[in-house]
Amino acid sequence: MEFPLLSLIILTPAAGAAILALLPSDDAVRRVALGVTLIDLALAIAMLASFDTTTHEMQFTEIRPWVPALGINYALGVDGISALFVFLTALLGAVSVLASWVAIDRKVKEFMVNLLAMQALMLGVFSALDLFLFYVLWEAMLIPMYLIIGIWGGEGRIYAAFKFFLYTLAGSLLFLIGVIVLYFHGGETFDILALTARELPFRVQSWLFFAFLIAFAVKVPMVPVHTWLPDAHVQAPTAGSIILAGVLLKMGAYGFLRFSLPMLPEASVHYSTLMLALSALAIVYGGLLALAQDDLKKLVAYSSISHMGFVTLGIFSLNLHGLEGSILQMFNHGVTTGALFLFVGLIYERTHTRSIADYGGLMKAAPVYTAFLALFTLSSMALPGTNSFVGELLVLSGGFAANPAFGAAAVVGAVLSAAYLLGMYGKVALGHASVGERFQIRDVNGREIAAILPLALFVLWVGLYPKPFLEIIDVSVKHLLVQVHGTGAAHERGRAS
Amino acid sequence: MSAAELLEWVLASLPEILVITGACVLLIVGQFVRRGQEHLLVWASVAIVLIAALATVLLAAEIRPAYRGMFIADRFAVFFKMVFYLATVLTFLLSRKYVDIEGIAISEYYVLLLFALTGMMIMASAIDLLSIYVGLELMALSTYVLTGFLRRDRRSNEAALKYVILGAVSTAIFLYGVSLVYGLTGTTALEGIAAAVAGQPLDPALLLAVVFIVAGLVFKIGAVPFHMWVPDVYEGAPTTITAFMSVGPKAAGFAVILRVFLNPLIAASDAWIIVAAIAVATMALGSFVALVQDNFKRLLAYSSIAHAGFAVFGVVAGGADGIASVMLYLLIYAFMNLGIFSIVIMMRSGDFLGESIEDYAGLSKWHPGLALLMLLYLFSLAGIPPTAGFFAKFYVLVALVERGFVALAVIAVLLSAVAAYFYIRVVMVIYMREPKRAFEPALTPAVRTTLAVTAAGTIGIGLYPAWFLRLAQTSVFGG
Repeated sequence: MEFPLLSLIILTPAAGAAILALLPSDDAVRRVALGVTLIDLALAIAMLASFDTTTHEMQFTEIRPWVPALGINYALGVDGISALFVFLTALLGAVSVLASWVAIDRKVKEFMVNLLAMQALMLGVFSALDLFLFYVLWEAMLIPMYLIIGIWGGEGRIYAAFKFFLYTLAGSLLFLIGVIVLYFHGGETFDILALTARELPFRVQSWLFFAFLIAFAVKVPMVPVHTWLPDAHVQAPTAGSIILAGVLLKMGAYGFLRFSLPMLPEASVHYSTLMLALSALAIVYGGLLALAQDDLKKLVAYSSISHMGFVTLGIFSLNLHGLEGSILQMFNHGVTTGALFLFVGLIYERTHTRSIADYGGLMKAAPVYTAFLALFTLSSMALPGTNSFVGELLVLSGGFAANPAFGAAAVVGAVLSAAYLLGMYGKVALGHASVGERFQIRDVNGREIAAILPLALFVLWVGLYPKPFLEIIDVSVKHLLVQVHGTGAAHERGRAS
Repeated sequence: MSAAELLEWVLASLPEILVITGACVLLIVGQFVRRGQEHLLVWASVAIVLIAALATVLLAAEIRPAYRGMFIADRFAVFFKMVFYLATVLTFLLSRKYVDIEGIAISEYYVLLLFALTGMMIMASAIDLLSIYVGLELMALSTYVLTGFLRRDRRSNEAALKYVILGAVSTAIFLYGVSLVYGLTGTTALEGIAAAVAGQPLDPALLLAVVFIVAGLVFKIGAVPFHMWVPDVYEGAPTTITAFMSVGPKAAGFAVILRVFLNPLIAASDAWIIVAAIAVATMALGSFVALVQDNFKRLLAYSSIAHAGFAVFGVVAGGADGIASVMLYLLIYAFMNLGIFSIVIMMRSGDFLGESIEDYAGLSKWHPGLALLMLLYLFSLAGIPPTAGFFAKFYVLVALVERGFVALAVIAVLLSAVAAYFYIRVVMVIYMREPKRAFEPALTPAVRTTLAVTAAGTIGIGLYPAWFLRLAQTSVFGG
């Protein structure tokens, strides 16, 4: 067995959380938490640096027996599909700590412990190669997230925390039954790779597909099970929103990629039109809702629903462009929406209002802030040169190849996103400088820029030179297509798109 | 009966003999304990249980039948006895301070607990309806008295009276079922009954007898439709006794149910439909009614009904995995439920009852450690990983799906999602409300020990279930 790098990446924040519990002062807690997340980020970069882009096999694998009587192992590994998310989680972990530096002023220690625990669990979810382990980590995330929203959230935090908890729990419990059924159909093993290699009868696949769909759709979230998201986002503290939008939402889509597609290929193909329709619905409906929002956070939250619609659209177009685009778009959405929530949080710390109507002319008061805001706003509406352009273009190309009608709906969504994002930016940054008179606005400081810069870097890097990122996912996605369509069909589809 | 045979019998039932002898000695010696020395009673009782536990472990290596087919000391019994020892010792530790506060620190309290323990042990080992009855009654009579131990408290009196009357009725029904069985088959031994049932179509009279026996046993585990006593008794009884009853006698009831109904021959009948209906109804009632409780002890009573329902799902599944899943469930439930009760018990100080959920508002501000422990127990009761409560539920679900009862598994998880709501509501009160008053929990060393043991069990079994799972699997009788 090679060096257990993945375990180290997962256990670093977990150990950090334990250390934090012993520290006396809030200041020490913040510093150590930042240190831990930076170490973790460095480890994740080291993982990416030595990642082999020429194989679809799992890398950095580890396996240890956990509950041998039920065939449960502690098994980890990453491939091109999960590697980017491990990195994204580590990156947003550090950003979240920076974003909470002054925004969290009570129970700092408890907050950081929750944040780091959350990070360990999320990293584990993306690296787990055992379904039981995956489920345990997936569901355990409910505990810290419930506390983060419920203790440090806004006015309606308790309602939002309950809603988040119960929605996600109800969804994932059916997933649990699906997992157990899969266990017995797949030869009494929880090994994800072994289960992927099994061929299940179509009837079983269909049942499992819907059991999984409920869990993943709640997490993504897809319309009509999205209603927990605006509440959770609006009430959560900034770091909670960043984690929710940046990482948690990706887990649903990751579930489709890791379980639904390779394990239930026939059902995935059979129900792909339904999924495309739901995705298109989410894109347009989310966009329309975002258009009507006055609350900045709600606007970004609804835009997330729309953007995650693009991701699921790409996944269920089941072709090379669609899948690569959706994975890249998940990464992009994590970076861009994470940044947008950070920006809402930064301005809220200064003015304590999130109503767009209260703002105007921010450009004069905080030029650096508005400049970066412009970058992320443009990125979110997928302007060429930014990261989302690459992702959305691929998704649209895949979507049109799969079903032109839904592809067209997605284009409508893209236009909508330009409308609400530009509208928001215009009202907040431009116009009369009334805002400077009503609030004391300070421009961003060094700590805040430190949180923003890495995100801005990835916006431009992926936008201008996406090749290294696509290389990471390319081989694994091609392998996934083979699993879904069989060898010959995949080739044909790849050419057709 | 030869001397060698007698020795064999004594060896087989040595733990029971030790406990009952110890209890009798304690009953006499206890009268001479001076005021202020009552804590000696606690340590003496703990010592008796630990000695019995040691004897049980030393004798666990082989299966010992005794008393001409009335009694057996097999690994199944050993497993349950260990759960009983755990529950009883922790109850003693919790009682140390609580009985002083309530003014019930007299030797009878401990003696009755030891009698109840003996009754439960006999139930776990009994393989004849008559010996089951003896154990059942010994346990029940002791708990009736313990329930009414707060003589000046009206609720305690009311609870005891209700419990006695309903308990007596249920026992009578049970006995009626036994007499019918004897009349029809000519035997009361479980094996004999199974043999008599085998090979012929089910006699309607025998079915009636089975229904009566089920009713009697279901009463003990507090399952629907014989659950009405649970909330009142749990609320009225001294909290230490509530904690004990929610774990010990309930596990004993399950031990008997498993022996009677999972006898391979009886299991071949369609009785599982009745049991499945009981499981669904019990879990649904417990989960939904708990949603509207404001009294924490009543909430835990309904939670206990819901958990009994979930464990009954394991009985429905049957087979080796089904039995093992029920056993593991009861063990894990003992840890987490005694944990949450020990916090309720220590909250009792002075005029502060600690019984309303609102009493816990803002606990995390004053006692972050206690709040964290409560969080652990509550999430475990709700079945959220990585706690032991999750693994308990998971294994029951595995057993259900293995038998093809996928629909029942879906019902079970959906109801447990309902149940999760009232557990996290308590978490919300602890962490997200402002404290109204200062807390002065009675954190004695004995209570600290209880908390440490239960917390270690709740998180330990969750993270490393392999050993406990093997223990349960190897303890299944006949397998």
